[in-house]
Amino acid sequence: MIERKAVSCGKCLLTAASIFIFGGAAFLYSGLYPMGADVPHNSLTYWVLETLRERSIAQAASDIEVPGDMDSPDRLLKGGGDYNDMCAGCHLKPGKTQSDFTMGLYPAPPNLSLDEDKQHHGSHDEGLDTLRQQFWTIKHGIKASGMPAWGPGHDDERIWNMVAFIKRLPDLSPDQYQIVTARGDVSEGNGH
Amino acid sequence: MKTQTLPRVLAISSLLFALSAQAHDPKEHMQNAEQADCTTMNDMDQTKMDMNDPITQAMMEKCKKEMSGMEGMSGMKGMSDAEEKAQDTAHEDDNSERHIDGGGSTKNHH
Ligand code: HEC
Ligand SMILES: [Cu+2]
Repeated sequence: MIERKAVSCGKCLLTAASIFIFGGAAFLYSGLYPMGADVPHNSLTYWVLETLRERSIAQAASDIEVPGDMDSPDRLLKGGGDYNDMCAGCHLKPGKTQSDFTMGLYPAPPNLSLDEDKQHHGSHDEGLDTLRQQFWTIKHGIKASGMPAWGPGHDDERIWNMVAFIKRLPDLSPDQYQIVTARGDVSEGNGH
Repeated sequence: MKTQTLPRVLAISSLLFALSAQAHDPKEHMQNAEQADCTTMNDMDQTKMDMNDPITQAMMEKCKKEMSGMEGMSGMKGMSDAEEKAQDTAHEDDNSERHIDGGGSTKNHH
C-alpha cells in the first residue's frame, strides 16, 4: 500500500515537472515574451530579475573594504570630474530630471542626484553596505541593462572617488555641482 | 596587393585599440574641460556654508585663486575665527586626507 502510494506520487510529480519544463520551453520558443525596452516586464519577471540582481550584488559586494577617507574633498573633486564626464548622461545631475537615456533605457538608470532614502536613514552599517554595492556595481556593471562595467580602464581608486562623490551628490545645488565637477582649474599648478 | 591588406588591418586595429585604451584617461577628458564658475560662490548663502563640510572644502580648493581675498566669508561657520581653528576641527576627524587651504600655500597634486 505505502509503496504504491509513493510510486504514484513520484509519477505525478514527474508529470508535473515535465509539463512545467515543456510548457516553459514552448513559451520560450514561441517568441511571445515582449523583449522591447518600451514594454515593462510583468510583475513576476520583474520580481525575479530584481531579486536576482539585488541578492547577487549584495553577496558579491559583502567583503569589499571601504576606504577610511570617503569624506575627503580631494575624492569629491576627482570623482566629480569623472562622474560628470561618464555618468551624468544616464544618472543625471542637480537641476536635470530627464535625458534620452533615462527615457529610453529599461531598466531606467536611477537618478543619483536625488536623495534615495537608503543613503541617509538607516544605520551606519547599512550606509557602508550601500557604498560597497555601489563600488561593485560601478566596477562590474549590471548584465542585460544599460549599466556598463567601468573596471576595465578605471582603477579602484577612481571608482571609490566616484562612490564618494555620489554619496554627496544629492546635497549639491546646480552651482555647487558645476564648481566641483569642472575639470578646468582656475587655480594654478594643479595637474589633474 | 593582397599582402598589404593584413598589415593595414593590423595597423588600423592596433591604432583603434590604443585610442580606446586612452579614452578614459582623465587627461583625455581635459580637452573639453569646463572652467569652474566660481562667481556663483559669491551668491551662495555663506552663513549656510560650513568650512568643515568636504563639499565646501572642495569648492574652496577649486576656487582658491578667486577667493584669495576672502571678502564676505566671515559669516561662514568655521571661518569666523582664525584659520587655524578651522584646521583644528577638521583634524579631529579621523580623515587623514582632509586639508583646508585658507591662504593658498598648499600641496599641489603631482
Ligand atoms: C548608458 C547608461 C549608463 C551609464 C553611462 C552609467 N550607468 Fe549606472 N546604471 C545604468 C542603469 C540602467 C542602471 C540600473 C541597472 C538595473 O537596475 O538593473 C545603473 C545602475 C547604477 C548604480 C546602482 C544604483 C542603484 O541604486 O541600484 C550605480 C551606483 C551606478 N549605476 C553608477 C554609475 C556610475 C558611477 C557611472 C559612471 C561611471 C554610471 N553608472 C554610468 C545606466 C548607466
Ligand atoms: Cu573614463
